[in-house]
Amino acid sequence: MYGDLGLKLVQHAKRTQALAHLPPYQTELVRAVTREVRDLDKDVSNVLAPFEGSFNPSAEPAVACNVLVDHLCMRRNKRCLLAYHRVRSDKLEELCWKGHDVLDNDSVPSGRQDGRGEGSGMGSDSGNQSSLSPEEEEYVRNYSDMLAAYKGQWTDIDLTGSLDPPRDLFIDVRVLKDAGEIQTEYGAINLSKNSQFYVRQGDVERLIAQGYLQKLS
Amino acid sequence: MDIDDILAEVSGDGSPPETRDLQELTRAWVTERSAPELLPWPSDLMDRVLGRIHQQIEVVEEQVGNVDPKTNFRLIIIQTELERFKYLVRSFLRTRMAKIDQYTLYMLSNPTQTARLSACELQYANSHQTLLEAHYRSSFLSQFPTSLQRLDDTAGGISMIEQPDPDAAVFVRALRNIEEPVVIEGTDTDFQMRRGDVYVVRWSAVQEHVLSGDAELI
Repeated sequence: MYGDLGLKLVQHAKRTQALAHLPPYQTELVRAVTREVRDLDKDVSNVLAPFEGSFNPSAEPAVACNVLVDHLCMRRNKRCLLAYHRVRSDKLEELCWKGHDVLDNDSVPSGRQDGRGEGSGMGSDSGNQSSLSPEEEEYVRNYSDMLAAYKGQWTDIDLTGSLDPPRDLFIDVRVLKDAGEIQTEYGAINLSKNSQFYVRQGDVERLIAQGYLQKLS
Repeated sequence: MDIDDILAEVSGDGSPPETRDLQELTRAWVTERSAPELLPWPSDLMDRVLGRIHQQIEVVEEQVGNVDPKTNFRLIIIQTELERFKYLVRSFLRTRMAKIDQYTLYMLSNPTQTARLSACELQYANSHQTLLEAHYRSSFLSQFPTSLQRLDDTAGGISMIEQPDPDAAVFVRALRNIEEPVVIEGTDTDFQMRRGDVYVVRWSAVQEHVLSGDAELI
């Protein structure tokens, strides 16, 4: 029926909003909705063809109604498609802001579904399809570039920094994953797993965001 | 600190310009976070604040490694203050960006709104919009009938350009006595705002007072 597929797409979008990761791109659905729009458009031209441009809605109310329904369906489908893509691109932007490497990480959630750990690395890529469409990958790349350029104008502020008001200059952190050695103003610290440090928040913020360190309260 | 103290400081010229800038920045931040639409970019204020942040960072970099406990302690205070300033500015900028992302087309198509963006923000809005459009186009729009390919279509009863809601409710506090009564459009309600009064009203009713500095959002 008209618009059924669009509804499915919007339901997917709704679900995506509540998820932490990005579910696979619904290539088939998007294609089907686009096809529906094209079919509707063809239908409209077919219906209007006999009138040769001199169509008078009040003279032929049945035809006018047909055309109107088709038009409304096309518009609705367009809105569904836009909403679906907007939700996904918003999600992608959010990931960019958090500093995740979206293009690398997107194989992780699907890797888990197969019962393989995220550490299995190499293998998970080839077996699983990426959850991004090629267009989205392109978009993420461009957006990250633009974000990097924009951030470059605010080097003193660190735009992607934490949005929680700072309480203390120094915090306790525990190392969850080996992160190697980092340089701070007070010398080098070797972040080996399970050790605990009292460090300046600004120095380790990125590592906390990336999941290497855990902040202890 | 009491509310009256804060109010007194607004009109008082006794405080040094640095303190007043902090106050202005905090106020701009709070207002930006509670107002439904984007407010004008406070370029003078931001220039001053950013300049000072830069100065302090240089001070810290110069003196780092100094083992004298006194300087060290002073350095920690400066750094803590720096972190707080950076947080204010960061949160302020991010709030503005969130609004820009949401209402991009509206802002770019409306000259008064465009004038409220800073140069960087305008550039960001433009390039972000271009990126989004290219993304939609390559994903599905290019296969649409030409009459449906536009993104800023207002035909068909629903405008595609999202606009901020001027009638959203805001909490507002009067900083000075406002002589003319505030009239809420479309109703027969009007009221007088005295200094220190707090109201919950539609943004559209108090917008001009907030922009002129006679009132602040809280």
